[in-house]
Amino acid sequence: MTNLGHPTDEQILGLYRTMQIIRQTEEELARCHQRGLIHGACHTYVGEEAIATAVCAHLTERDPVFSTHRGHGHALAKGMPPRDLMAELFGRQAGCSRGRGGSMHLFAPEIGMMGTSGIVGPCILQACGGGYSSKLLKNGAVAVAFFGDGAVNNGAFHEGLNMASIWKLPVLFVCENNQFATEVPFAYASGNPSVGNRGAAYGIPGFELDGNDVVEIHRVAGEAIERARAGGGPTLIECKTYRTRAHAEGMGDFTYRTREDVAAWRDRCPIRRVAVQRPALQKQFERIDAEVADMVRQARDFAESSPIPDPASARAHVYAGEGRGTRGEEREAEPAGSGLSPLASHPSPLASREVSFVAATLEALDHAMSANPGIFVMGEGIGVRGGNFRTTLGLFAKYGPERLCDTPICERGFVGLACGAAMTGTRPVIDFMFIDFINDSFGEIINQIAKMQYMSSGRLKMPLLLRGCGGIGHSAATHHSGLYYSIYAHIPGLRVVVPSTPYDAKGLLAHALRSDDPVLFLEHRELMSVKGAAPEGPYEIPFGQARIARAGKDATVVALSLMVQHAERAAEKLASEGLSIEIIDPRTVSPLDVDAILQSVAKTGRLLIVDEAFGPCSLASEIAAQVADRGFDDLDAPIKRLNGAFAPTPYAPSLEKAVVPGIEEITSALRELVKE
Amino acid sequence: MAHAISIPRLGWSMEEGTFREWLKASGDKVSPGEMLYVLEGDKAAQEIESIDAGILWIPPDAPQPNDAVQVGQVIGFLLAIGETPPNEPLAAKRSSSNAIETNKSPAAAPVVQQKKHQPVATPRARRRAGELGVDWTAVSGTGRHGRIRERDVVAAASAKPEPPASRIRQAIAQRMLAGAQQTAPVTLFTKTNASELVRWRNHARENTQGAVVPGYTEIIVKLVAALLPECPPLNACWQEDQVHLHEAIHIAVAVDTDHGLLAPVLAHADRLSLQELTVQFRLLIERARAGTLSQKELQGGTFTVTNLGAFGIDFFTPIINVPQAAILGIGRIVREPVVRGEAIVVGETIGLSLTFDHRAIDGAPAARWLQRLCQAIGRPGEMLDRMR
Repeated sequence: MTNLGHPTDEQILGLYRTMQIIRQTEEELARCHQRGLIHGACHTYVGEEAIATAVCAHLTERDPVFSTHRGHGHALAKGMPPRDLMAELFGRQAGCSRGRGGSMHLFAPEIGMMGTSGIVGPCILQACGGGYSSKLLKNGAVAVAFFGDGAVNNGAFHEGLNMASIWKLPVLFVCENNQFATEVPFAYASGNPSVGNRGAAYGIPGFELDGNDVVEIHRVAGEAIERARAGGGPTLIECKTYRTRAHAEGMGDFTYRTREDVAAWRDRCPIRRVAVQRPALQKQFERIDAEVADMVRQARDFAESSPIPDPASARAHVYAGEGRGTRGEEREAEPAGSGLSPLASHPSPLASREVSFVAATLEALDHAMSANPGIFVMGEGIGVRGGNFRTTLGLFAKYGPERLCDTPICERGFVGLACGAAMTGTRPVIDFMFIDFINDSFGEIINQIAKMQYMSSGRLKMPLLLRGCGGIGHSAATHHSGLYYSIYAHIPGLRVVVPSTPYDAKGLLAHALRSDDPVLFLEHRELMSVKGAAPEGPYEIPFGQARIARAGKDATVVALSLMVQHAERAAEKLASEGLSIEIIDPRTVSPLDVDAILQSVAKTGRLLIVDEAFGPCSLASEIAAQVADRGFDDLDAPIKRLNGAFAPTPYAPSLEKAVVPGIEEITSALRELVKE
Repeated sequence: MAHAISIPRLGWSMEEGTFREWLKASGDKVSPGEMLYVLEGDKAAQEIESIDAGILWIPPDAPQPNDAVQVGQVIGFLLAIGETPPNEPLAAKRSSSNAIETNKSPAAAPVVQQKKHQPVATPRARRRAGELGVDWTAVSGTGRHGRIRERDVVAAASAKPEPPASRIRQAIAQRMLAGAQQTAPVTLFTKTNASELVRWRNHARENTQGAVVPGYTEIIVKLVAALLPECPPLNACWQEDQVHLHEAIHIAVAVDTDHGLLAPVLAHADRLSLQELTVQFRLLIERARAGTLSQKELQGGTFTVTNLGAFGIDFFTPIINVPQAAILGIGRIVREPVVRGEAIVVGETIGLSLTFDHRAIDGAPAARWLQRLCQAIGRPGEMLDRMR
């Protein structure tokens, strides 16, 4: 792209055409909304067309765009046919998200439209992830984040721009400053009234542009994208503009701004501005107007006549490889996306050497990284240092800084980045060190990572591993003692893995590193140095298959992680009293192998669930409910639960011991259970 | 929580009593074991102790001295410190623990059926019961609060059913239960000099030419039969709220057999000579042990004698052979030091246990008759020689 400041007639006509497609499509959608043809919200881009148009003119299908709740224009500018957009808003199967998204969740990954979002901020982080994939895959792609002025006072902006800066990521941050975050004026919400000059704060170029000047934006964005492709890092562009329709169709518009203001900005219409600047092209413009009008009319007819989605498919695409409705607790589909040959499953642990839990996971990670160059690890101190818990020891020397990437302390930021990276072809591994830190990235996991496959109707995969250690012990106190599997297992779209032995940890991590679903891999700190038999060679254990940790006939204990070890000790003690205890280790909380638990209860008639996490809405509650439902006739005693105390984890050893089930508590709970 | 003070049942049959007086004042602190009030039952006034602790609260509508009170009626409360007294009227209150629901006439039958105890079984136990064809509602549970568990059902299914009790056993069971439950038994024990009895029998043994020698059982049966007319209520039965006296004296005598206890009857024992009585009794014993007694020979007794002396028993509490009114238990004759004049000498004694139905006869006449029997045993010749 030469001559950026002086676009050719052909370029001008192209820009005009795109702006006109956006304008006319939006106006038609507004009409349809009024007629009740659109079911949910409808946020139009009217008045802001120049920005998406000018930026996307420089992008190919390989350049990923991450967008906002006001994303119709971005999708259209990125090449989405109006009919796909309209069908989506009409809630039709032919819609760009197959009816799963509506106005705020537009997906067309085939053309690099990576999704719009109802949450303000994450697109900035996801674009960083797109940039990180580009850097790792060296495919020259530039990621673009469009976001409003409402996003720039959000932590994602700060974390994202800083990460893009320190890693020189090929990302363009485009702030569409339309002066209102919903109805809150930017002038009110921002201490620094300039967005463009904030680039300096992160050590990256920043620009303040007239957002209604398509030619100028086209020039600056073009330069920024060229710079990014050449390895020059990110750029921040602020485009000052105005939406001339309400925040959402049907909303009142004049409680926070005046009719005069809106009228004044209508006069600065970016489309008319081009037409006025290039009177020689008048005829061509008129022809484009007519063509676009015809296209939009056809798009609307298409949308209205398209079939509605089959209600039976409502649960499809929660997880990868699902063509139809599937529940989280059912067993997973075989990973399809990795393209790597499956590893051996279930080799005998007998006769293999002893290895520590953490060393076993390190072997699995090393093997996966050597087999798949798309895997990279991010976390604090996981580079040269090799991880606080030696989770990446020696890998930095082997795979280098891009694949073992130390991060600033910005969990939300790098988890959001990992989301974007997973969407764009790499496989991030986030190493949280202490898993308590994961909760700073809760929104990214729950609202973005977990939902992405579903909202994209299975066209995006989310090969992403989130690992960290935690659990109660050694006076770690409340910010270093959580394990949180109950919370995350509640969320559709996530896999939650909580191994209890080195053998399982290695096999399950290997499987996680081939899974196309986002996986939480939660390691109990009190188990990290525990040794056990595990084969040296690679193997994997599928999710959703419980392990019988000990066979017995008098009562079943379901336990996870460290509680498996405790339960084993309790069972040994009780064996000397003549009680035969069976221990089931589900190994994964989501999916949960309820069948294995039911089989055991069918044998013993008695069930105790030992769950280190809090009782309410816990794994124990879920298992108890499932067994009470499906295994009712097998029960010879009430189902019992042993949970951690419903309290934050205290520091003093005497207090700490009092909030977590121990061997003694498990032993006496079992003695009581067999008396029931 | 307030403890209600309710009128207890004094004795077996009391339904109503008379409230005499409080022994504590309202507001007094009462400890368990302290006497609370005086209640007059059927026989005598009695101080009633408190079984609970608390502050006594006597409501304004509590019974006044000499008021009639019903068993189970609440007459006051023991309150915890700071507790406010219940404010419902006492008349409405009746302690369920003391009240015995009596269903006096069919017309007054309660509408609500008495709640049957519903056993609880685990789902697994119920399923297993279905598989094994066990009625789990009849199984007793070993789980928490008696919950029926799978193992209980399995045990019930695998337990070999007990062979039904023999008809004799069933009859004994039924009669013994009736004797224990349907009478108001009192047992009197006494020990008396048996030296003369022993001597008389030894003499009889030495001087009997070919005839059977009466045993102690037969001798005492003979004495009993001879003395019963002196105390008609002992040779009686209690039926339909009154004593029915028997003119005839038919003595049932307990016989131990392989099938269980039998009590064949010596009809008109008072009319039989000791010799006849002895012969007849020996025949009855033989037939009893051979199982050839007729039903007639087992019916119609008016008094029963049972002898456990052969087994070293001194005293026991015989159960009345309903519908009779009394039974005499004979203990062993034992050589032991006895006081004779001012000297301790070797003598022989015999233990006697007389159980009588207090409904038919009071304690004093029964004791007086037992005393007469002792006198007769002390001088057996006087009666036996005359009757021979």
